[in-house]
This record gives sequence, C-alpha cells and structure tokens, in this order.
Amino acid sequence: MIDNKKHLVQKSRRQFLRNAGALALGVSPLRSLAATDNNEGVSLAGGMRPLVKYPEKRDLILVHSRPPHLETPFSVFNESLITPNDAFYVRYHLANIPTEIDLNKYKLSVNGAVKKTLQLSLQELKSMADPVDVVAVNQCSGNSRGYSLPRVFGAQLSNGAMGNARWTGIPLRTVLEKAGVSPEAMYVIFNGLDKPVLPTTPDFKKALNIDHALSPEPLLAWGMNGEDLPFLNGYPLKLIVPGYFGTYWVKHLSEITVLDTEFTGQDSYFMNTAYQLPDNDCLCITPGSTADKNRPISTLPVRSFITNISAGDTLPSAKPIELEGIAFDDGSGIKNVDISIDGGMTWLASTLGENLGRYSFRPWKLAVSFPQKGNAIVMVRASNKNGEVQPLRATWNHGGYRRHAIESVAINVT
Amino acid sequence: MSNNTSFITLLSPMIIGTLLTIVALACISPSVSQPYASTDTTIKKISLPASTISLPVSKLPGYNLALQKCTICHSVDYIHHQPPGMDQKAWTSAVFKMQHSYGAPINESDINSIGAYLSVVYGTAKTDDPKIIEASKSTVSSSLSTEIIDVQVLLTNNGCTGCHDINKKIVGPAFKSIANKYKADTDAISKLVLSIQHGGSGKWGSMAMPPMMNVNNEQAEALAEFILKQ
Ligand code: HEC
Ligand code: HEC
Repeated sequence: MIDNKKHLVQKSRRQFLRNAGALALGVSPLRSLAATDNNEGVSLAGGMRPLVKYPEKRDLILVHSRPPHLETPFSVFNESLITPNDAFYVRYHLANIPTEIDLNKYKLSVNGAVKKTLQLSLQELKSMADPVDVVAVNQCSGNSRGYSLPRVFGAQLSNGAMGNARWTGIPLRTVLEKAGVSPEAMYVIFNGLDKPVLPTTPDFKKALNIDHALSPEPLLAWGMNGEDLPFLNGYPLKLIVPGYFGTYWVKHLSEITVLDTEFTGQDSYFMNTAYQLPDNDCLCITPGSTADKNRPISTLPVRSFITNISAGDTLPSAKPIELEGIAFDDGSGIKNVDISIDGGMTWLASTLGENLGRYSFRPWKLAVSFPQKGNAIVMVRASNKNGEVQPLRATWNHGGYRRHAIESVAINVT
Repeated sequence: MSNNTSFITLLSPMIIGTLLTIVALACISPSVSQPYASTDTTIKKISLPASTISLPVSKLPGYNLALQKCTICHSVDYIHHQPPGMDQKAWTSAVFKMQHSYGAPINESDINSIGAYLSVVYGTAKTDDPKIIEASKSTVSSSLSTEIIDVQVLLTNNGCTGCHDINKKIVGPAFKSIANKYKADTDAISKLVLSIQHGGSGKWGSMAMPPMMNVNNEQAEALAEFILKQ
C-alpha cells in the first residue's frame, strides 16, 4: 500500500488499524495504562515522573527540568513512522542554555586548522549549497537505561529517548571545504550555545574523526520534518550524524573547530571521559568490575520494537491480529524482523514496510493468531545486512548505554 | 505547578501546514530537499517552567548542605529520579563525582555528609546506622570555616556566580538589577541577608534561589553589601 501521508505526523497508525476493521485487535487497556505509568516500568527513588508541557512540545515525560530533559511517551511511536516535532525527546547536559536566539546575531564560526576562519549567519549557510534531506533516527546513548540491571546512576530512561525525523540542511563537508581543512587535520570539534553553570564544569563538546566529518553523511540541519528545528531540539542549527547515537548531534551549534592534534583538556570530558563503553568485543563488562580500556560510544546497534501492543494488553485468541513495529540500525540496512509469540521458541518472519532511507525507522508488520488463552510473551528480533542480530539478553556497562536486547511484551490472551 | 509558565514567543505567526507538501522520497540518502516555508521572524524566545520537586526534609546535617550545593548546577529531579535501593557507598560516590568531574564546590566532609543524607532519604541506609552518624558528624562546612571574608571566594564557593552575573540575568537577576531595586531601601542589607540565607522564588520570576544556610550572618552581610554596590 502506498500512502505517503501515512508518514506525516497527523496520521495515527493505530487509528488506521481501527479503521481497517478487518483485523481484530481487542479493546486495549494499554494506552490508558501508559497514561498513568509515565515510568513505563522503571522504578525510581522519588516515585513517578510527571507529564509536563514545554515550549513547542506536547505533554512529555519529565526526566529533569533544569536543564530540560524530556522523554517521548512510547505510544507516540504507534502514531507515525516520523516522530512529530512536538513529541520529539529533549536532552541537555548543562543548565546555562540559551532561551533567546536572534538570527541577526547568530553566527556559526568555523576555526582551528583551516585556511580561512568563517563566521556564517544562518542565511549565508542556507545559500552555500542546495539543501539536502535525510530521514534518520536520533537515539540517546542512555535510551532504556532504567532497565539496566544492576541499576546505574544517570537519567532513568525507558524506551522513549529516540525519534525519527526528516532533517534538512547542507553537508558538513561543504562548510569544511569552504574553510579549507589542513592536510594535518585529525578531528573536528563541535560546540553549541549551551554552557556550564560554573566554570569548573566541562563544556559540552563532541568530536568526529576528520574522515567521518568530510564524508557525505553528517549534515548541518536547520529543518526538521519540514519546519524550523524546535527551540529545545537545537534551534537554529543542529549537527546530524546519521547512524550515530544522539550524543554527537550537537544542538544550537555555534562553533566548529578543526584540530590537527588530539582533543584534550577540561572540555574534552563529554568525549573522552563520559559516554564511554568497555573497549572489547561485547562492549560490556561484568557488573562490579572495571574495564582496562574504554572507547567513546559511536554507532547504533540493530534494534526493534513492537509499537501497537504493550505489556498487560488483552488480546483475543484464535483471531488474526496484525502486529506492527519498527526496526533501525546504523545504516547497514535492516535485513529481517522476526516475531515470536511463544516466548522465543519459534520465530516468524514479518513483512518490512516502506523504506524512507537506510537511517530511518523501518516499519514491519505481521498477522499472528494466538492459539491458546492465557499468558503469552511476544518478542521481536531484528537483524541487519551487516550480520548483526539483536541478542536475547542485555549486556551491562557502567553508563547503562547502548541497550539493544530483544524486547519482550507480556500480554493476556482471552 | 502551572503549565502556563511555559510559552513560546514569536514575533510573527509560525507558518504551518506546509508539512503536507513534503513527500516521502526514495531511499537515497541524503536526498535532495523539498523546500519549506520557515518563520520570517529573527528573534525566537522561550520561557521554561521552574522545577517543582524539592529535596526530602531531614534532620541530618547533609540536608542543609544538599539544599545549598545540589541545586547550583541542576534541578533536584536529577537526584530524585535516580534508582531506588542505592546504598551509602553508591550515593557518596555519586556526590563525589559532582566534585571530581563537574567541579562542585564541596569538600570531602560535605561529600560524606550529603552522601549519608541522600542514602537515608532515597536509598537503603537508616538515620541511626553507625556509618551514617559517622559520615554526618564531620561536617565543618568549607564556608563556615573561612575566617577572612573574601567576597570573591564566597561567590565562587557557593556557586553564586553560576546563577548571577553583575550585568546580566542568568538564572537569577543581575547584581546590578538587585542593587537598583533596593537602592532606596534603608533596610536593604538585612532583607538581602535573609534572601541569601533562605533562598526563595517569586520576587524576580519563577526560578528559585537555593537557601544558603551555610553562609553565616557576617558572610551574608558582606555579600549583600557587595551586591548593593553594583
Ligand atoms: C558544579 C555543578 C554541579 C553541582 C554543584 C552538582 N552537580 Fe550533579 N551534575 C552536574 C552535571 C554537569 C551533571 C550531568 C548532567 C547531564 O549529563 O545531564 C550532573 C548529574 C547529576 C546526577 C545524575 C547522575 C550522573 O552522574 O549524571 C546526580 C544524581 C547528581 N548530579 C547529583 C548531585 C548532587 C547530590 C549534588 C549536590 C552535592 C550535585 N549533583 C551538585 C553538575 C553538578
Ligand atoms: C541556582 C541558582 C542560584 C544560585 C546558586 C544563587 N542564586 Fe541568588 N537568586 C537566584 C534566583 C532565581 C533569584 C530570584 C529569586 C526570586 O525571584 O525571588 C535569586 C535572587 C537573589 C537575590 C535577590 C533577592 C531579593 O530578595 O530580591 C540576591 C541578593 C541573591 N540572589 C544573591 C545570591 C548569592 C549571594 C548567592 C551565593 C551565595 C546566590 N544568590 C546564589 C538564583 C540563584
């Protein structure tokens, strides 16, 4: 079925499913349940996280208020393949954030190991090249940290610190080439307008390898789903790094520095000390021990979710039920999404839906029928063209980063 | 809690509806972009709701210290929304990280005392655990022990400069604006001493100033005098 509008923000896939009528999906208590459990199964010392309204956003789950950190309620991923701007998650680290931006004053500066330093207004940037689009998933490194066992300190996220959007901008390399990168260049450092409260706290800066920075993928984007970026998602300019975790997607981008040395010093903290994974094959470690060597987190592992049912739902037996969901990875390309309705004993191949590009959520669906009444466990497992398959059990690391184990949903069949 | 405190100001209405002109393109990436109309305003401004979560009250000395030190750089929900069941060791090392990695103005005895308090109110520890009593005992606050009053040191150690600037508003009002507001007030010093020691919100906006209980009267007076001179 070809329906371009299906991916626009207004259209609800759940609504679509209801209208289709032919398939029986029992009256599901799930959304009402999700509405009362903003923790989505994550226990917290201080109790339930409230829903809050922030500028340009609908009600989102409050993780932190100063600086703002807001999580998307999972039900949003059942609405559309593209995550609406007003539902897209928000993540800051440092509380001195801009609350007013004047485009007559805003400049992106490009400096360091370049032939010519640049000071670009948004307008100048927009007229440097024809704009390009990419649909890409932005997932927080700590998405699902709340399910880490043993638990770790950090933002106790459930599965909503991710989103899929169409980003509009120009390739990063257009700007780097204009500035003339030194042949000795090693890294490109990105800084935004957000600042620490005290000067003793490191600023939030991220680094990309020079080869990666000069590749066609990274974008300097001002558009998100056909509108200006929402303020809290990095207005007026955001670095887009398709296939990489959200920590690299620097918001309110104001400075690009080319380095012909290693990136060191206080402000390399969020690159070299935080956001680290154990540097071994599984990128994991036995709880309680420490890794000999770490390395910065980088690309998205293959991951999938079921979006139209959730824990505690009641579904009818012996009737066709169309399960739907999403899968994504680092851009290698989703190969298969398999579903099990018997707790992982047998697996059925789902049908992949429309391809909005290799960095996008890929929709899948599969009609299943539950043979017996009682409890059932529905599982979803994706693999990609690079040979990666989601593992059955989550591995552990100190930061609670990069969770991508097979998701299981426990339901009742009546 | 009011949701109305959050709004967005645009100088001209945002053009929406153009969404519908975007067509889902093929899977080449990046693909050529479809143009869209963006806002033609140059200034975009937001205002953010204030935090409504406060630290649980306790008689432990770590409570007052946490009130003062743990809201300088971020809201209390950073602490409140952590996993349950963490022990004294885990909470103490979380507090240590604030000093070690982020430069929080706290000394070793502050760290132990705040860690003890947090593990009692949020974790597994009990007020009468010998280790909690021990960790809470040693509190000689860095600012209480300062004998010579150096305003610059007080401003830095208490995180004042993180929220206040002489000339411009950060989280709190500019010191110049405070001086201006109280310039005709003969009682200004004692009012500001109270504000500094007890914190509060509502006089300048919805953001809150943390209570600075460990700033003693003499120090608070010196700070108030300094601010009023701006
Ligand atoms: C000098 C600034 C500063 C002060 C003071 C400070 N923090 Fe933090 N804190 C931070 C920063 C920066 C982060 C990381 C923010 C982020 O990543 O969103 C953080 C994060 C946290 C977290 C989340 C877990 C983690 O490690 O990221 C907890 C819990 C926390 N702080 C507790 C405290 C407590 C308790 C105090 C009082 C002793 C305190 N903080 C004082 C800067 C500070
Ligand atoms: C976490 C941010 C923060 C820190 C740290 C902070 N302040 Fe404030 N301060 C505020 C805010 C917000 C207000 C406005 C409160 C209100 O609207 O009533 C304020 C108000 C004030 C006022 C005016 C009070 C009045 O009655 O009008 C003074 C004086 C002041 N601060 C001094 C200090 C000093 C001195 C320090 C350090 C010892 C300090 N502040 C630390 C946020 C902060």
